Amino acid sequence: MSHSSRRTFLKTAVAGAAVAGMPLPLRAQPKTVKIAAIHCVTGPLAEPGQACRLAAQIAVDHVNAAGGIKAMDGAKLELMLGDTQTKADVARAEAERLINAGAQILMGTFNSADTNAIVPVAQQRRVPFFVDISAADPITANVAKAVKEGQQKTQYVYRNFPTGTLFGVRAVQYFNEIFKEAGVSPKRVVLMHSNDLFGSNQARGFQAAHKTANPSWEIVEVIPWPEPPSDLSTEVSRAKAAKPDIIAPITRPASAQLLLPEIRKQRVEILGIVGPGSPGLYEAGQLAVLKDDLEYVMTSVPWPNFKHPKAQRLAEEYFKRSGGKTLDTNSGYSYDGIHVLADVLERAKSVEPDAVVEAIKKTSYKDNLMVSTGPVMFNELGDNPNAAPAMIQIQKQKPVAVWPKEHAVAKLVFPRPKA
Amino acid sequence: MAVGLTLIFGVMRVVNFAHGDMMVWGMYLAWLLATRGGVDPYASFILCAAALFVAGLLVQRLLVQRIVDAPHEMQILLMLGVALVLENAALLVFGPEPHRVRSPLAQSTVWLGPVFVDVGRLVTFGVAIVLTLVLSLFLFRTDMGRSIRAAADNTYGALVIGTDVRRVYAVAFGVGAACVGAAGALVAPLLPFQPPTGLQLSVASFNIVIIGGMGSLVGAFVGGLLVSVAESLGAVFLKPSLKELVSFSLLVLILLFRPAGIFGKRAA
Repeated sequence: MSHSSRRTFLKTAVAGAAVAGMPLPLRAQPKTVKIAAIHCVTGPLAEPGQACRLAAQIAVDHVNAAGGIKAMDGAKLELMLGDTQTKADVARAEAERLINAGAQILMGTFNSADTNAIVPVAQQRRVPFFVDISAADPITANVAKAVKEGQQKTQYVYRNFPTGTLFGVRAVQYFNEIFKEAGVSPKRVVLMHSNDLFGSNQARGFQAAHKTANPSWEIVEVIPWPEPPSDLSTEVSRAKAAKPDIIAPITRPASAQLLLPEIRKQRVEILGIVGPGSPGLYEAGQLAVLKDDLEYVMTSVPWPNFKHPKAQRLAEEYFKRSGGKTLDTNSGYSYDGIHVLADVLERAKSVEPDAVVEAIKKTSYKDNLMVSTGPVMFNELGDNPNAAPAMIQIQKQKPVAVWPKEHAVAKLVFPRPKA
Repeated sequence: MAVGLTLIFGVMRVVNFAHGDMMVWGMYLAWLLATRGGVDPYASFILCAAALFVAGLLVQRLLVQRIVDAPHEMQILLMLGVALVLENAALLVFGPEPHRVRSPLAQSTVWLGPVFVDVGRLVTFGVAIVLTLVLSLFLFRTDMGRSIRAAADNTYGALVIGTDVRRVYAVAFGVGAACVGAAGALVAPLLPFQPPTGLQLSVASFNIVIIGGMGSLVGAFVGGLLVSVAESLGAVFLKPSLKELVSFSLLVLILLFRPAGIFGKRAA
């Protein structure tokens, strides 16, 4: 070793020791925080998946424009994009790929089956996984159980979205309140649902909540269909034979496009179509195709609180950047997701996984745009107990919140007027 | 839909894995003609068939002809590649949202007492019968049809008697694609479609063609009826979500007891 290189070595070693000995806040913070936004932007659920991705990008732009993560020397958020193609195996591979490429936090995915496939990757690789949208209960419940039983040390999966159970409880509550408000007493409800992970979980949640609440109306028939269906005429005939007062559908976009025209064609005489919560009944693309078949349809879905001063501004920006789409369940929750993560990073002051998880657990974020029963926080399962849906209704070809009253922007129309 | 698949397989022994995706393009074409030109899909199906005929001819000449004599796995890879390109091109051009063509015929129903008949489905069924008959006439009464059958029965024999087999293959692929283009336009008012719908349609076609007998036109027609009736009965007497189990169980039974299909010929 030459004299000069020995000197260089000593200088480097001293500098290194000084850095290592420095207190944490004085160390150079990363210039960016890499968040992998993994959504189903292609495949059968591409429309909501693309809405999630765009809203996450808008939120990242807003956070960065406001100075980034201030507690981390203004570190900017960087979105790394992933596409599950609405396939669970691809979702898992995308999560692996993005972690290998440097993602420090995962967010996604909209489709419960895809989200569920990413959970083991997040747990094995110790990367916090923030579920912006996905309702199936087992996503967080299975991890929480494994941690409780000591099979895993830390839970890295947290969700800011109503679970299927919560959807069910709120849907039964809203059904009762709406029937009372309208002064009608329907007796017979037919539950029709897609039989994928999301649809089956939602149906179970609704049936369990119905059993617990024991309301004056009955679920007289439960009709599942394989998703995506190629024909629902037999299913609707079966529903019609059950003489329903209400049809409660849990759809996906493609199945909603088959179901609603079929109900009209078969002239099923009902007081209304009231969904316990699912996509397919309010998106811009669905409204363009289904037109009058969607008029007066109600569904209990997470919805932006348009009484929040920021929601209207965001809706206008989203409308422009999406080429004319509405700020809704999917875009709203992904937007909130990035802001909750920014809040978490401000408190964690680090991207170290366990520090992020500790900060997530202590979250109490009050500036969320979505309808809720309180601030964003996480319970022992890793779910936000304050995430809540609102009952929306299609009126004059636009989805509007009609229940609960404090979030309603229009009066509900029920029973639906006869054509 | 299944008639086109069975024709292509019967003549070239190439399994067209892009069949469903070609049908989805037929659906999008019908949607474009309906929304931009105001043409009802029950009239535009002829235009869709013509467009898909040209597209099929080009795909055969530029791609399929190169692998006609290649091992099956190479053919499968090529056709899966074509399927992927078609699906993603549709995603780029038309976006991810499900589409559906609105037609007054498809909106109406006829009531016979308590029984209702969906006019859209009835018309589609009628046109499918007519198209199958026209295709049979083409195959049995025209010189090109006879050449196609000759090439399907014995390629070398057809070559020996001076048949331009390359041209016959291109026309057969084009006619198969035209069938699926017409089917796409006719089904577009009944079935919502989006780019990934192609896979679902391909699987349904394979099921029908294998049950009916690979290479048999009558088999494709009867197979289609059998599968539809089996699924409807399954939805009535079992859980509706199990209806596909019934049709695929039928497929397993056929493969076990009559592997060539109901109207298929046993391989020599």
